[in-house]
Amino acid sequence: MKNKIAYIIKAIINSYAILFFSQNKVLGVLLLAVSFFNPVAGASGLACILIALACADLSGYYRQDIEKGLFSFNALLFGIGFGTFYHTNTAFFVWLLIGCLVCIAITLSLYVLLIKRGLPMLSLPFVITFWIILAAAGSIFRLGLEQRSSSVMYELITAMNLNAHRFPFYIDLFFRSLSAMLFQNNAIVGLLIAVGLLIHSRIALSVALIGFVTACLFNRFTGVFPEGLSYYHLGSNLVIAAMAVGSFFLVPSYRSYLWAMVVVPLVILFIIAFTRLLGIYDLPVLSLPFCVATILLLYFFKSRQSAKTVLTPLQFYSPEVNLYQYLNSKERLPDYHYFNFKLPFMGSWKVSQGYNGAITHKSDWAEALDFVIEDDEHHTYKNNGTKPEDYYCFGKPVLACGDGVVVAVTDKIDDNEINNVNLKENWGNSIVIQHAVGLYSKASHLKRASVKVKVGDNVKQGDIIALCGSSGRSPEPHLHFQFQATPGIGSKTLRYPFAYFMSEHGNEKELKTYSIPAEGDSVSPVTINNLLKDAFNFQPGTAVTVTTTDGRTETFEIGIDYGNECYLHSKETNAYAYFVNNGTAFYFTTYYGSKQSLLYLFYQAAYKVVFACNGSYPVEDTFPLQLAKDPLRWLNDLASPFFRFIKLKYEAEVNISPVEIVFNSKQVRSVGMKDRRISDAQLWIGQEGIQRFAFNTGKHKIEVKWDIKNTY
Amino acid sequence: MQKLKYERPYIKKLNTGMLNKFASANPAQAFDAIEGIPVKKLIEQYGSPLFVLSEKRIRHNYRAALRAFNTRYPKVQFAWSYKTNYLSTVCQIFHEEGSWAEVVSGFEYQKAVKNGVNGSHIIFNGPGKKREELLAAIENNSLIHIDHFDELYMLMELAASSSTKPRVAVRVNMDTGLYPQWDRFGFNYENGEAWNAISKIVQNNKMQLIGLHCHIGTYILDVAAYTKATTKMCGLAMRCAKDLNNPIEYLDMGGGFPSNNVLKGVHLQSADSIPSVDDFAEAITTTILNFGFEKDKLPLLILETGRALIDDAGYLLGTVIANKRLANGRRGTVLDFGVNTLFTSFWYDHQITPAQGTSTHTEPMTLYGPLCMNIDVIRENINLPVLDPGDHVVVHKAGAYNMTQWMQFITYRPAIVMIAESGETHLLRKAETLDYVDEMEQTPELTKSKAVEK
Repeated sequence: MKNKIAYIIKAIINSYAILFFSQNKVLGVLLLAVSFFNPVAGASGLACILIALACADLSGYYRQDIEKGLFSFNALLFGIGFGTFYHTNTAFFVWLLIGCLVCIAITLSLYVLLIKRGLPMLSLPFVITFWIILAAAGSIFRLGLEQRSSSVMYELITAMNLNAHRFPFYIDLFFRSLSAMLFQNNAIVGLLIAVGLLIHSRIALSVALIGFVTACLFNRFTGVFPEGLSYYHLGSNLVIAAMAVGSFFLVPSYRSYLWAMVVVPLVILFIIAFTRLLGIYDLPVLSLPFCVATILLLYFFKSRQSAKTVLTPLQFYSPEVNLYQYLNSKERLPDYHYFNFKLPFMGSWKVSQGYNGAITHKSDWAEALDFVIEDDEHHTYKNNGTKPEDYYCFGKPVLACGDGVVVAVTDKIDDNEINNVNLKENWGNSIVIQHAVGLYSKASHLKRASVKVKVGDNVKQGDIIALCGSSGRSPEPHLHFQFQATPGIGSKTLRYPFAYFMSEHGNEKELKTYSIPAEGDSVSPVTINNLLKDAFNFQPGTAVTVTTTDGRTETFEIGIDYGNECYLHSKETNAYAYFVNNGTAFYFTTYYGSKQSLLYLFYQAAYKVVFACNGSYPVEDTFPLQLAKDPLRWLNDLASPFFRFIKLKYEAEVNISPVEIVFNSKQVRSVGMKDRRISDAQLWIGQEGIQRFAFNTGKHKIEVKWDIKNTY
Repeated sequence: MQKLKYERPYIKKLNTGMLNKFASANPAQAFDAIEGIPVKKLIEQYGSPLFVLSEKRIRHNYRAALRAFNTRYPKVQFAWSYKTNYLSTVCQIFHEEGSWAEVVSGFEYQKAVKNGVNGSHIIFNGPGKKREELLAAIENNSLIHIDHFDELYMLMELAASSSTKPRVAVRVNMDTGLYPQWDRFGFNYENGEAWNAISKIVQNNKMQLIGLHCHIGTYILDVAAYTKATTKMCGLAMRCAKDLNNPIEYLDMGGGFPSNNVLKGVHLQSADSIPSVDDFAEAITTTILNFGFEKDKLPLLILETGRALIDDAGYLLGTVIANKRLANGRRGTVLDFGVNTLFTSFWYDHQITPAQGTSTHTEPMTLYGPLCMNIDVIRENINLPVLDPGDHVVVHKAGAYNMTQWMQFITYRPAIVMIAESGETHLLRKAETLDYVDEMEQTPELTKSKAVEK
């Protein structure tokens, strides 16, 4: 019951906030409050929301979508509009209800129709419904509706202002234009909305201002509207269109800001055109120009083949979060783009020739790697190096770099004497494995008669497929390795990274993720610690009970969504933390929900865990910036589409012993060159998995016990 | 022109053997510096005799051995065999390189703990573990390698009242084709005792059986012995997983790899006849890889290699005391170190070279130590150039066992220095003094009065 009420309240507030593409509580409540500046309009708006929510819920739509206010904000607009235009009488209530139902029907139909193309319905349902009511009310048949005042409608389409200015002209106009979203013409209301907007998003407010200024300047220079733009068109069409394009549907950047300016003249053109066309039927354009212009642009953005202006991939209803999450994902989620490849050998090998190498890695075959084994003195051989057997790499196992099917094998070419090359059978003994459509790997110069697979065999990552040799164009034993897009043994090379490996350059050893081994570096595969790996092997269908020392308890359920993404879900706080476990690393991708949740602490503590045990070295990562509680956050937000000066870093280290693993991580805020530790966390892992974790912010220290149990 | 060194005349029997196309090589070229530091300078600074260790060589050996294994097998762990050389600095070099500790007594266990080794990285081997030592090992989560049933019963008793489950492995001995068969460590494979012990541990449920260990011998020159041993160990591990549902985490193949010293009684042994660490690695790893374990369930391979990692990193420097003519006309040379210092001379024909320039003429001779004991023979027969009293000699490949098995007997034990990678020389152990030797001694009253009277 408690949850149900919370859900309804959230849906109501979101129905308001979503008018400005937000889910911010403060903005939602503010909008709700100012809508009651006109009590009838406010009440009928709220009533319509309730009806819409009930209808959507009974129709079985996703509660997550209903909660966002997706299906109720058009009804809200309709309710407010209806309450603003008509006097209250019996007919008012009858037609409000009927109109509301029509609006909901159109909403749901349009939603289903447009969602397939990935397009939003915006306020189209409201526009259509309102036209229907207006057309019907203006007909010769008696609906019984009485228009409040003719000036209201008049105001909507002219620049006339009946109220006295409270602020300097343009500021007053800006505020009034914001209040137009609620069919008001009140600078105070607009001011309150602007404050709400500022709290919701610095980017959104700045884009709103950009839209406003662009529109005013455009009108000034072109003189399209000699008396100036009407506050209604400014608010309901121009500013909102700039916000939609500049900060909502596009990831904020200087490009999106430019588009926010470009959309303004477009909307002005539509306003003029639609006003003329609809004037024939005596209908106002309402927010139609905004809807048409935005949907048109969106459709154009979506149908591009390649582009630098990025559409928001995952909608968080906050320009800042969208931006930070996008930047963060781009930086740290290569799993979604690349096949997970492992180095094709065991132990540490040196890249003797890298991409675009000076010896043979040229032109079409430039993106290949040669590997040898070296000793401390940088010799590749022992004794005097006159026999292939003297070379450390000769006869060492070559592994399958990834799962796949063997598509080509040669195995009968002799290994060369040292310093001899076989130019006739250039590649020597080779194996080509297909990993995916258009993605192959090839190992060459293998030892004669060492190939352990045949064409058509399925291989798993890490299987020994052959031994390193010196056949083909190989003056001394080495392993030639390349990725390619075609299955031939002589195919040209393809630039492609290895997922995880250790790289040693001089005395610096680091863990590389999704990168290409560099010439001269010594690289070795990551050795997996099974204790660590098993501890983070969260299986959907299980649950974990976590308890703090002071008795707070939450249950984390492990689930998997329809997109095959795994998540931890805190039942009590309804927070979600999505994660990826690729066998080498566990890391969180996104977090939704309350920051009071214990899940939020765990998300920060185990943001990224690499199951490696090649010694101690730090794992570094960055948090999306929306997590930063920072006095400079708003300043950073304002500048964020162009540059970010705050960075939220994650650093972790693991101490492994066979019986217990202690995982230490910390969160560091870095501004310029200055680093400050915000929090640190510790995680204890034993034979049975995670045992407990502690989170310390300096002020608070929380220790949480971890108990795994099966739910199903 | 520098004055030529005086060489006393000598008489040598002319042997007319088979002619060959090679000229007779001088087997004893002067070895006058270790890692660039002159022998003469070392002796001047630290005295004679003197043990010298090379940090560079130790690290080189370790890395080469690790490379031999980890380029062939994904999960490899070395554990430094303390008994081979438990000088703290030596141990710490190995630990720094990533080695665990393998100890065989309470004393060595304490040394490992003192060296800062995490308890769970200490392997406790050996047939003579005491109750309190076992208790400490249980508490520290060390790996306890059980040697006999009496130890197993004691552990069961200790485990019953312990809050931590002891992590144990069973020591297994087996027929690997070597003679004599080492059957004194652990439980025999062929007669079923090993399986019996394994079953008892798993049934007991108060201990975790996580490993299997074997120590098939020492200075093993036959790679096939390791193939056989590994096959049997893998078989046991597989049975543990399948029959007892108790998968084995690691196989410890013990030590036994030879260094390239020359064993006594081996005819014409050369470097070629000694298998390299690579050969052993190939035998052991291919056996495990081909045995049929699931790829992500391959056991960790632990090696307790000692000798092969440090023997050639150690030298013993000494000085000639005197020359003499023996009854049969052979020359005898008396050196200032004996078998009490170079303990390995009991089983090795150590390579010994002069530390200063000499003529190319050599003479067969016997090298004696300074002890007044007939057994004190360093080399029964060696061809060396004529050596004068005060000349220095270098004993090669003396890094393993000597610095642990040496005895304070008749003479003091000498100093040990290490030449660091940076080229500096560091004293690791001071030469013994009378005070040191007397330190533990007590002088009760009963003799005191009489001594005074005299």
